[in-house]
Amino acid sequence: MGRYDFRPQRVFQTASQLLAVEHSARRATPPPWFDIVAKTPPSQVLIRPLQRTQPARRGRKPSRLFQPMPIVYPEDKLRAEFFGDHPWELARPKVVLEGDGNDAMHWDWSRIQQPGKRLDGESVVQRQFWLMQYQGLGKNEAYDKARKEFYKYRHLEDIERRVANEEAQATGAYFGPGPLEYGMKLEDRKWEAWKKWATKEIEQRKQLESAVYSGSETDEDSVDAPADPEALGEEPEEPIAAV
Amino acid sequence: MIIRQLALRQGRRSLAPQWRSARRWMSSEVDSISSSMQNSLNETHSIESMLNSLPGERVQPIDDETHQTADTENIGTVFAEFKRQRELQKPLGAIVTPHYEPHTLVTNPPRPSDISLELLLASQAHMGHSTSLWNPGNARYIFGIRDGIHIISLDQTAAHLRRAARVVTAVAERAGLILFVGTRPGQDRAVVKAAELSGGCHLFDRWVAGGITNGTQILGRGKVKVVDEFDQEVPGFEEQLVERASVKPDLVVCLNPMENYVLLHECALNNIPTIGIIDTNANPLWVTYPIPANDDSLRCVQVICGILGRAGEEGKTRRLAAAQAGNITFTPADGFVMPGEEKTEQQKLPRVLKLGASIEELEKQDAMGNRPLKKDPLPRNFIEGEVRERVPRFHDAKKDL
Repeated sequence: MGRYDFRPQRVFQTASQLLAVEHSARRATPPPWFDIVAKTPPSQVLIRPLQRTQPARRGRKPSRLFQPMPIVYPEDKLRAEFFGDHPWELARPKVVLEGDGNDAMHWDWSRIQQPGKRLDGESVVQRQFWLMQYQGLGKNEAYDKARKEFYKYRHLEDIERRVANEEAQATGAYFGPGPLEYGMKLEDRKWEAWKKWATKEIEQRKQLESAVYSGSETDEDSVDAPADPEALGEEPEEPIAAV
Repeated sequence: MIIRQLALRQGRRSLAPQWRSARRWMSSEVDSISSSMQNSLNETHSIESMLNSLPGERVQPIDDETHQTADTENIGTVFAEFKRQRELQKPLGAIVTPHYEPHTLVTNPPRPSDISLELLLASQAHMGHSTSLWNPGNARYIFGIRDGIHIISLDQTAAHLRRAARVVTAVAERAGLILFVGTRPGQDRAVVKAAELSGGCHLFDRWVAGGITNGTQILGRGKVKVVDEFDQEVPGFEEQLVERASVKPDLVVCLNPMENYVLLHECALNNIPTIGIIDTNANPLWVTYPIPANDDSLRCVQVICGILGRAGEEGKTRRLAAAQAGNITFTPADGFVMPGEEKTEQQKLPRVLKLGASIEELEKQDAMGNRPLKKDPLPRNFIEGEVRERVPRFHDAKKDL
């Protein structure tokens, strides 16, 4: 066995050795994949390409030569800045589905709004980057410009949504109970249940009190059932204090 | 018709004598209500009479089994009208721009010629695992690190996928049995479709350990059939099939090698080549032909499985076309005798040809053996080893002998 098992990579070599043995026994039949695996052998495995070079430093061995390097784009810093300033933009739902893989090519960042893409933080970043690249604006200048465009269109979106809501309600739409109404309903239900319970409690207490002062016997159901049947005859003094 | 009736009705009202409205003016409210009721009753009667005057069309009884009415004469005209309406309404409505439709990856999978970096990128083939989970054997397939995960190089993915597709095509062309395995939830439809396209087998629930190494016990009861070069079943081989070993695949395509180590190990023991999707946390030594890609994305898996299925379909089509032209592109199975015939001496002791010899020599040897040399897709020069000549084929066994 050993540390590495290269048998899957060496199917062709094994098969040809087997064929040579079987040939002497007159049973040799090459498998259907024999010639194609010979023509298109598997690629080399366990290759470590050199990822980085390091200047020779006295007393230190070069390290991490074969480890993959991080991928960095210039937009990353812009992105970090925008989402640092607007952390709640990250809470908005986002479409991460790619259509044909060329989606980013269909966008033109000379304007912040794109057909087929929702206006979001990424739009600001791309617009800022475009302004820096093609209009020669500074980073902060471009950021302010892109950011203000973004605010403007967000505001317009809000107005549009509100108007649509009003129009719909004016023409008879009903959007169901809102969160406040729903909470109120739950609260009302609890309140009614408590009222019922409280009324019952008050009645019981009144009965007990009247029984104490008149000296007559109490109804068995209205008080807690006493453990001792002889206690029924005695006047209940404790329950009043207990209740 | 309704407008005409309306005009009639209104006309009648407008022509009514004016003294009636004067009397209504004078009369009490009850009078007006009763008269309007009378009016509506009159209208109802008129509608009834109109309905009664229409030619009587009885409701057709519906057949319980076929759910059709007895009146089938009109179906043609109704359908023609439906088609005409559809043609009329075709230019109406919005134009839908081309967009991603997930189901098409299964119903109409991409072909090996469609492999592009855009397709692989859109299907998220480049997303690897967390950098701490990597297998350093995959260093060659990794492009870099982004957000704590390894990004697979799509150049490598495309190159390895093309290579694997070529192998699948060739094996299907030589009638090899291809097994498509994808045991993760959601991979079943893609696996079945690929097997269907390439005429292979599929597995989407669980690999029973020992299916290859202990095949007689585990797959012994499975049905085996003998087919001719057109993939039609040839009956009469039942007795000969009883004593044969269980069928083994000639090529295994595994979409999730992480969960199928047992299968891949059995394939390695039995010298069966394998193709597998190798994510950055998988061991590339487990398979013969690794395809570095994201095995956790269903879209990516469907793309890769579909491409390999299409590759198999291409090989199958080539094989059937060659069979139509009278060429056999595969080595027939060993040791079968056509039902009702004796085993010939030639079959018992097949001649041995030294490969590496020229085609002329082979033809001469064939001529000595009184067997016509068929067009042989196998290369004449193998790298090493020798190969026995093919036994008479099923389809022309009688002609040859």
